[in-house]
Formats: sequence, structure tokens, C-alpha cells
Amino acid sequence: MLFTDLTFWAFFAVVGALYVALPHRAQNRMLLIASYVFYGAWDWRFLGLILFSTLVDYLVGLRLGAEERPAHRKRLLGVSLACNLGLLAVFKYLGFFAESFEALAGLFGYAPGWVTLQIVLPVGISFYTFQTLSYTIDVYRRDLRPTRDFLDFALFVAFFPQLVAGPIERARTLLPNIELPRQLSWEALRRGTVLCLLGLIKKVVIADGIAPSVDAIYASPDPARIDILFATWLFAIQIYCDFSGYTDIARGVAKILGFELMRNFAQPYFAADPQEFWRRWHISLSSWLRDYLYIPLGGSRGGRWRTYRNLMLTMLLGGLWHGAAWNFVLWGAWQGGLLAVHRAFAGRHGRVGEGERRGALAWGWRLVKIAAFFQLVAYGWLLFRAGSFAQIAEFTGRLAGAIPAPGPGAMPAPPLAVLLGMGFLLLWDGWIELSGDMRFYARWPVWLRAALYAGMVYLFAFGATTATSAFIYFQF
Amino acid sequence: MRQTLRTFLLTLAALALIDLAAAGALGWAAGAGRLGGLVAYFDYGRSVPGKLAAWDEAPDAPGNLADIAWRPAQLAASAEGFAAEDPGAGPVLRAYGMSFTSNILAEAEALDPALSVDRHDGPSAPPNFTFAQFLDDRPNRRAGDVVVLGILSSSLPAMAALSNQTWAFEQPAPFTYPVFLPEGDGLARIEPVIETADEARDPALAGAWRAQLREVDAFHAPVTFGATWADASPFLRLVRRSLAKRHIARVERRIEAGELYPVAEVLPRMIAAFAAMAREDGQVPVVLLIQGRDGSDLDLLALTAPVLEREGIPYLATAEIASPSDPANFAADSHYRPEVDRRFAEALLRLLP
Repeated sequence: MLFTDLTFWAFFAVVGALYVALPHRAQNRMLLIASYVFYGAWDWRFLGLILFSTLVDYLVGLRLGAEERPAHRKRLLGVSLACNLGLLAVFKYLGFFAESFEALAGLFGYAPGWVTLQIVLPVGISFYTFQTLSYTIDVYRRDLRPTRDFLDFALFVAFFPQLVAGPIERARTLLPNIELPRQLSWEALRRGTVLCLLGLIKKVVIADGIAPSVDAIYASPDPARIDILFATWLFAIQIYCDFSGYTDIARGVAKILGFELMRNFAQPYFAADPQEFWRRWHISLSSWLRDYLYIPLGGSRGGRWRTYRNLMLTMLLGGLWHGAAWNFVLWGAWQGGLLAVHRAFAGRHGRVGEGERRGALAWGWRLVKIAAFFQLVAYGWLLFRAGSFAQIAEFTGRLAGAIPAPGPGAMPAPPLAVLLGMGFLLLWDGWIELSGDMRFYARWPVWLRAALYAGMVYLFAFGATTATSAFIYFQF
Repeated sequence: MRQTLRTFLLTLAALALIDLAAAGALGWAAGAGRLGGLVAYFDYGRSVPGKLAAWDEAPDAPGNLADIAWRPAQLAASAEGFAAEDPGAGPVLRAYGMSFTSNILAEAEALDPALSVDRHDGPSAPPNFTFAQFLDDRPNRRAGDVVVLGILSSSLPAMAALSNQTWAFEQPAPFTYPVFLPEGDGLARIEPVIETADEARDPALAGAWRAQLREVDAFHAPVTFGATWADASPFLRLVRRSLAKRHIARVERRIEAGELYPVAEVLPRMIAAFAAMAREDGQVPVVLLIQGRDGSDLDLLALTAPVLEREGIPYLATAEIASPSDPANFAADSHYRPEVDRRFAEALLRLLP
């Protein structure tokens, strides 16, 4: 059940109607059932995994709350880590490591002859596993009191808007939102609807419109250099619109129901360096990695080289989190390398972000840096998107001019709607970047807002004729 | 609540204003013959009856497919041409296909001016059209002729359709063809109620035709045929186009998965029957497998290789000559580039006796 399917919106209409009619506790129970129906629609067999993960972390949380002995607490945390990471290891990484071992053994002339593991990846497993893990770790650190209500906890794990592709919510923000009565408001309905519309434009009009052009180049046996260059830029836009579009819809749907999900993207391509990029891109994952991996590893506390090591390790694991493939590891290494090099040359700098006031010259210089850094990010996405090491080498060689490539480009041009959508998004994100106000339009007179909404609806309809595909991040 | 309702109503009003402005601008552009691509983009979303009516109103408009590829008319023309042929002039290459086959044959004719070609094409014609034409054109062939059956990967799902009207939403050429279903070791044939352009315009047959589409055609849906009043609004046309494309894509996926129609069973039987009849008549059968650029299409060669090998049927698979995943092989309209067609034509000529 994709957010772009009419079936999802029919499902949401039913959920919404029931939600309005029910009191708070019953709302939570109904949302839990709806979340399981939503997840079961992908593959009901994997409901058992979610239930297992929920039960383990609920029980571990309860025991941690009552346990004072440090050694026992550590053991309990170990149980949660082993179960959750064990699920990931089996369902996400076992096949990958078995195949990698087989390939490595093959290099030395040894063929283990294993049966290839045919494990189907449960959708969203990386997201809900990290979400439940954060709960247990927070309880272990005594940053959070464990919840006693199993059904509320189950809803925290399985809440359908963000179940399959995030944002990875923290228990300390989402659980209170579940436990306390929520206020339904017309304001939330308006804001949620705008977010959903924005997300649909990003996903359906832009990302799905770009996809055939990019796919054609990555499937091509002999792509031209100019095509690789455009495919690299376009994929950067595609993955941003695909993933942030999903997040916008998730946040919009949740907002309509009275939930406040965290912001996952803050105009990431306006970043001028890697540190800033990771404060703007997939914020729920980058902050998770920072809080539960980078800082426990020592963060920047152990001197320069330890900081570089920690950055590298964090990003390597962040890459591997995305998928069981070496190109994701390579992408993580690229990002870790960028962060380390940036740290080495620029040191640490303060927050840079939306709404910052600058002079014309400062803006000009910043735009140059943004454009230059975008090339590095886009190359990282080439590593991410490529189907094999050979393709990475081939594309990189062709981009660098080291491998001859046919002259004229043959990439199928994206439809007009994509260009209109990209123009609209540039204005939207640019406005937020300059004003520092995500709801800049709220101050507009009502007739102008109505014109904006109508224009967005028209734009969506204009671009909705492209073939839709699943969200890229569902595979993670 | 009042504020939300006000915003909502104002948004609807703004949407209506934008739509009116778009309708006016598109009307002006169409009248002035400008912005043809944009006008077509919006027109693609008209209902099928709306598009057919527009074609009837402007028979000379470019892209009008109303009178194209009707089977009886094509067979009559074939008989006429056959009667005018000189039987002693040598074998003729008779091809049953679509624009892709036609392009390849044009290149073949350019390479070998002595080649005599007789084409029977339909726009994006599925195998049920090409096979039916092959069967029904039997009296118009001679022993020694080469018979080419063109099969296009993107048209395979249309084996569950009676007309392009139901599955080629943007260009719903109304010509019709039978649906073939497995029966015993052979194939049963369901004829369409409507077979000619005149019958298609006959209101008396419209009810029976729609009833047959509902019953037999896997693609038929109210979203493409109903609510013709919505054609007046460019916005609603966009909405219809989106819904129609999603519906058709969903049906195609189900057919390709073997759910709604047994393509994997019917296609090999068609090919075997094609080769058997051609050989019985002393003709040389050649199957032309044209893999389109859409990577999600069924793999024609994988689907037909067993029957082609078992029956020893000469074939040309475009995928073996030019990669369908290489965008450089295709023109903007998704046909192969002429230089690629030339490579196919060279391979085809090598297959000929």
C-alpha cells in the first residue's frame, strides 16, 4: 500500500473517520490495528517480526526500569541489541555476507558451493529496528522511563505513517504523543494536507518523472559521458524528492491525526559542506547515528585521528544500514571521508542554516560553495545508485574522461512536468532557506494561499501521469 | 472551521479559475496551431468516446487513427493487391506486424531493391491482431512466399484486449481484433462484435460492443470510457489520464504475471500454428521478436525460445542484435533508430531463402 496509491487514501479515509469518532484510548487501539493492516498489506508474514521486536523491547524496557544492578542492566541491553541486530543480521545481511564470502573464496579457487540464501527483506525493517533500539538504549541510559502500556508501545513501533521509511522517531517524543490525548484541529488538517500535497508533488511529479531517464542510463551498456553526468545530477534530485516526499506525506498524515513527527530534511542541497549536509539530510538517521554510535565511540573527544576514525566508522555503518551491498558501504566511506577531510581542513563550525542573514557577496560565495559541494554529494549518489563495482568504475572513468564514451547523449528527456515541479520545489525550498520559516505561506492573505494550493493541486495533476514506482527507501 | 472552509472553497474557486484559463489558452493554441505538444498532453486525457468523436469531427487532423487498420478493409485491400500481382514475379515477403516491423522492412527494401514486400500493419498491433490477419489473409499468399509474424513486447498484454481503445488510452485506435484463448491443444477465437469503421459509428451496435468489452476485454474500465462530460475540463482530463494510466499499468502487470490472461500459453501456440499453416502452404515462416525499450516488458525471447527451437522456426530477435536497454538505440518516439533498424534488416535478409 503505497502513499501514491488510491487504496492508501481510501484506507486513510476509513482510519480518519473512525479516529474522529473514538475516544483517546480507543483511537490508539484502532491505530495499532490499522498499522498492522497497513504493514500486513505488504506481506503479512513479517508481522511476526514486528511483534517479536516489540515484545522484546517492551519486556527489556520494563526490566531495565526495575533493575538497578549495572551488570544486569548491561545484560538486558545486550538481549535487546542481540535480538534487534540479530533480526537485521538474518533478514538483511546474512545473504549479503554469505555471497561476499563465496565470492572471496572464489578468488582463492575455493568454491564452498553453498546454496544461495533466498531471504526476502522485510519492508522497513531497518527503520523500526532502529526505532525500538533507541527506546531501549534511552531507558538503559535512564533518559526515558519505560512505558507500562504494551499496546501503546506497540503503536510506537508500528505507527503506520512512518513505519516503513521513517522518520526514525525517538520514544521520548512519540510515546508521549501516543500516551496523552491529542488535539484534533482544523489548523492541523490544513497543515497536514499541504504537507501531503507537497510530498505527492515531490514523489509523483518529480521523482517518478525523473526515474525513467536515470534508469535508462544505469541500464545502458554504453552510456555517453554527458548522459552519466546528467543521470548523476538527476538521481540526486530523484532520491531527495523520493525520500523527502515520503517523509512529507508521513508527517502530513500524522499531523492530521494530531501527531508531530520530526522533520527529516532541511533543504539538504543548500548545504555547502558535508557537516552541514548531514544536519540537513535524513536528520532522524544522522541524529540517531550521532547519539547512539558516534558519541559512544568517543565522538570528537579523543583527538584528531580518533575523531576521523569515529566519523569513518559511523558513516560506514550508516552506509551499511541502507542496504546489504558493497556500494552502500562505499557510499558510507565516501561520506565519512568527506566529513573527515572537511573536519581536517575546516575544523568544527557553528550551525549554518535557514533564515541566516548574509550580504550579497557572502551569498554569492555561498552559492559557489553550494554548487561545488553538490557535485561531491551527487558523485556519492552515483556510488549509491550503481548496480555493481564494475559500473562504478566504468561511470567514474567515463566521467573523468579516462574511458572513451560515445559522444552524443541519448538519455530520454524527463517530461515537462518534472521541470515545472523542480522549478516549484526550488522556489519552495529557497523561500524556506531564506526566510527560515517552513510555513512562510501562512502569513499570506487567504486568497493568495488558496491560489498557491490550487496551483499545487494543478501541478500534481499535471505530473501525475507518469508511471509510479515504489519509494526508494522502502528497500532499506 | 470557518477559516478552513473558507480556504477550501477559495482553493476550489482558484482551481476553477486556473482551469478556465487553461481551457481558454489550450483552445486558443489548438485554433492557432501552436504549442502542439502541450495541447496533445492535455488531450491525451479525454475519454475514449471523446477522442473518437473528436477524430470523427476532424478526419484530416494529424494523428487521427479512426479509420486505420480495420481488418476487413485491410484484407480487402490485400486481396486486391494480390489479384494485381504478377504470379511469376517471384516470392513476396508478406509481413503481419506494426510500425516496428514496417520500419525494418523499409530498411530491408532499401538494402535489397528487388525485395517485394506486402505489409499488414496496425498501430502497436498485438499478436492477436497480427496472427488473425495472418490467418484470414491465407487466400492472398502463394507457395514460396516468406511470411513474417511481428511480435512486439510492449503489446503482449493486449492479447487480452479486443481493441487498442481499451489499452492504448492516449492513442485509442478503434480498430478491433479477436482474443484467442487456449482450447484443447489449439486456440479458440472470440470475434469482436464490431469489425469495421462503419460498425464502430453505428449507435445500434454500441451497447453490444460495450457489453462485450466489459465481458471479454481485461482492460475495459469506466475510467477510460465513462464521464465524457469531464472532457470539458483540462484539469479533469489530467486526472483521468493519470487514473487511466495507473489502471492500464495495473492490468498489464497482472497479465504479465499470468493472472488475467495466459500469455505464456497462448503465444507459443500462436507461433506454432503460424509456422504449421505457412509450411502447409509451402511458405517460409519467420518470426520477428521486437523487444521494446521498457525494461518491464516480458522477455520475448525467453517466452518463445522453446517453441521456436522445437518447431525449428527461423526468427529474428532484436534483443540479440541491439540491446533494448541502451537508450542510444531508440529515437524519441520509442521506435528504434533507422541505423538500428538497418542492422535488423540485414539480419532479416540473411534469414531469407
